[in-house]
Amino acid sequence: MEIEFQRVGKKYDSGQEALSQVSFHLQQGEMAFLTGHSGAGKSTLMKLMMMIERQTSGQILIDGVDLRTLSRRAIPQHRRRVGVVFQNHQLLLDRSVFHNVALPLQVSGADHEQIAKRVRAALDKVGLLDKEKFNPMALSGGEQQRVGIARAVVNKPQLLLADEPTGNLDPKLSAEIMNLFQEFNRVGVTVLVASHDLALVARMRHRVLTLNQGRMVNDGGFA
Amino acid sequence: MAQKPSQRGATRASVKASKHHWPTRSRFNASLYFQQHKTTLKESFMRLLSYPLASVMTVMVIAIALSLPGGLYVALKNVQTVTDQWERQSVITLYLFPNLEDTEALALSHQISAQPDVASVEYISKEEGLRYFERSSGYEQTLSSLSENPLPIVLRVIPREAVDVTTLSSLQALRDELATKPEVDIAELDAQWLQRLANILSFGQRFSYALSVLLVIAVLLIVGNTIRVAVESRRDEVLVMKLVGATDAYIRRPFLYMGFWFGMLGGVFASLCILVLSWWVSAPAERLIDLYQSDFQLQTFNADEIVLCLTISACVGVFGAWIAVNRHIANIELQ
Repeated sequence: MEIEFQRVGKKYDSGQEALSQVSFHLQQGEMAFLTGHSGAGKSTLMKLMMMIERQTSGQILIDGVDLRTLSRRAIPQHRRRVGVVFQNHQLLLDRSVFHNVALPLQVSGADHEQIAKRVRAALDKVGLLDKEKFNPMALSGGEQQRVGIARAVVNKPQLLLADEPTGNLDPKLSAEIMNLFQEFNRVGVTVLVASHDLALVARMRHRVLTLNQGRMVNDGGFA
Repeated sequence: MAQKPSQRGATRASVKASKHHWPTRSRFNASLYFQQHKTTLKESFMRLLSYPLASVMTVMVIAIALSLPGGLYVALKNVQTVTDQWERQSVITLYLFPNLEDTEALALSHQISAQPDVASVEYISKEEGLRYFERSSGYEQTLSSLSENPLPIVLRVIPREAVDVTTLSSLQALRDELATKPEVDIAELDAQWLQRLANILSFGQRFSYALSVLLVIAVLLIVGNTIRVAVESRRDEVLVMKLVGATDAYIRRPFLYMGFWFGMLGGVFASLCILVLSWWVSAPAERLIDLYQSDFQLQTFNADEIVLCLTISACVGVFGAWIAVNRHIANIELQ
C-alpha cells in the first residue's frame, strides 16, 4: 500500500494543533519508523491513516485514493486493509488467543475453515501456535504483544501500522518484535512503526520520519 | 486478503474500482450470511444465560408488562362472546293503544312484517296476553275478578338484523320509526342494556389500548436500558471491533438478537401467565356464566393470539435494542 501525506494538518476542537503541514510519501512495500517525543503527533498521524480522526487540512492519499472522499460507510472496508498494533494490546480478555486473532476475520465475514487456517498461520508466524487456547491474561507481555501482531496481520493487510509496539518490553523482546515487522515487510507489506526508542530504531536501519510539535522535521536519514 | 499475491498493493485502478463495489471478500454469500446470523442468535442466547439472574428479572418484568394488556384482551374477548350469544334474542315490542280494534292491529302487523328490515312479526292478542300473564304471574284470581281485559294488543317485531353492538344504532332507528306509528303506544327495544354494555365495552377497549401502548413503551424502555448496559459492559469489544473494520451493522447484530431474545422470552412468559390465569379463573367464571346461559366456555389465548403476542414482543424487543444500540454505539468512538 502506498501512502502520501500532502501538507496535512490536524487541529482539534480544543484549538490544539496536533499536526501541521506534514508531507511524506511511503512507497508500496517500504518500511519506515516514525519518531518524536510524546505529544509530537505520532499517534495522531496513525489515527488519520486509520480514519479514527479526520485531518483538518491537506490531503492523505492511500493507493491514490483521497481519504476525504471516503464516506463513513467506507471506513470499515478501509480498516480491513490496514493492520494495527498498539502499545496497550487491546486484547479481549473474555476469549482465547485464537478468538482474539480471529476477530478481524469474523468481522469481515470469513467462514470457519478459512478462519481456523488463517489464525493458525498468523499464530505460527509469531511463534504462539501452541498457545491458541490460552487466555491472553495467562501470557507474558511480549507474548501478548505478539498476539496483537498476529491479529493485525491475520487479514493479510497491505499496510501495517504499529504505535509504540515495544513500549513495555525489554530490549531483547523489543528486537524480536521489530524483527517480526521486518519479516512482514519482506513479503511486501508496507510498514510504519511509531517508536520513541531511538537506539532501537537506529539499529534497524530503515527510513526514519521525525515529528516535533506536529511538524515533520526529518525525513529519510537514519536517526 | 482475497486478492492474488501478484495483485498485492493494488494499482490505482483496482482500488478505485473497489471503492464502488466492495472488494471481493464482501461479495454476498447467502449461506455464510445465514450461518453467521444463526451463530449470533445462539451466542446472544448463551450470553443471556451467562447472567441468569439479571436476564430472568428482565424477562419477567417484560412478561408482566405484556401480560396485563394480554389479560385485559382475553377478558374483553370473553365479555364479547357472552354478549354475542345473548343478543340474538332481542326483539322490538310494540304495545298498541288499548282502544285499537283487532282488524286495525292485524293490518298494522302485516304492514310491519312487509318492511324489508323486519324478519317477522308475532301477533299477541289481548286474550293471549292475558293467558301468558296468568300463567307467568300467578295472579289468576285477581285477573279473573276484573270485568275487562286491561292488556293491550302486543306486536313482537323480530328485526332482520341480529342485534349486536354494531347493529344497535340501526335497530334503535327502527324502534324510533315504529314508535311514530299512530297505533303504537310504546315501542321497546329490549336491548337498552346492550347500549350500556356497548358503552362499557368501548370504554374497556380504549382503556386496554391505552394501557397496551403505555406498557409497550415500558417494554421498549426496559429492553433499551438493558441493552444500553450490555453495550457499556462490552465497550472494549466494540472498540476493538471498530478498529479491525467491523461495520456498524455487524456490531449492532448481537445486541439486536439480545433484544429479540428478551422480547421473545418475555412474550412466552406473558402467554404462559395468561394461560395459567385463565385456567385458574375458568371454573368459577363458567359456573357464574352458566347461571345465565348454558354451555359457556371461557375463551383463553388461542394459538393465533400466542403467535401474535410473540411477534409483537419480539419486534418490540428488537426495536428497543435498535434504539439503544444506535445511540450508544455512536458514542463509543476510537480515541
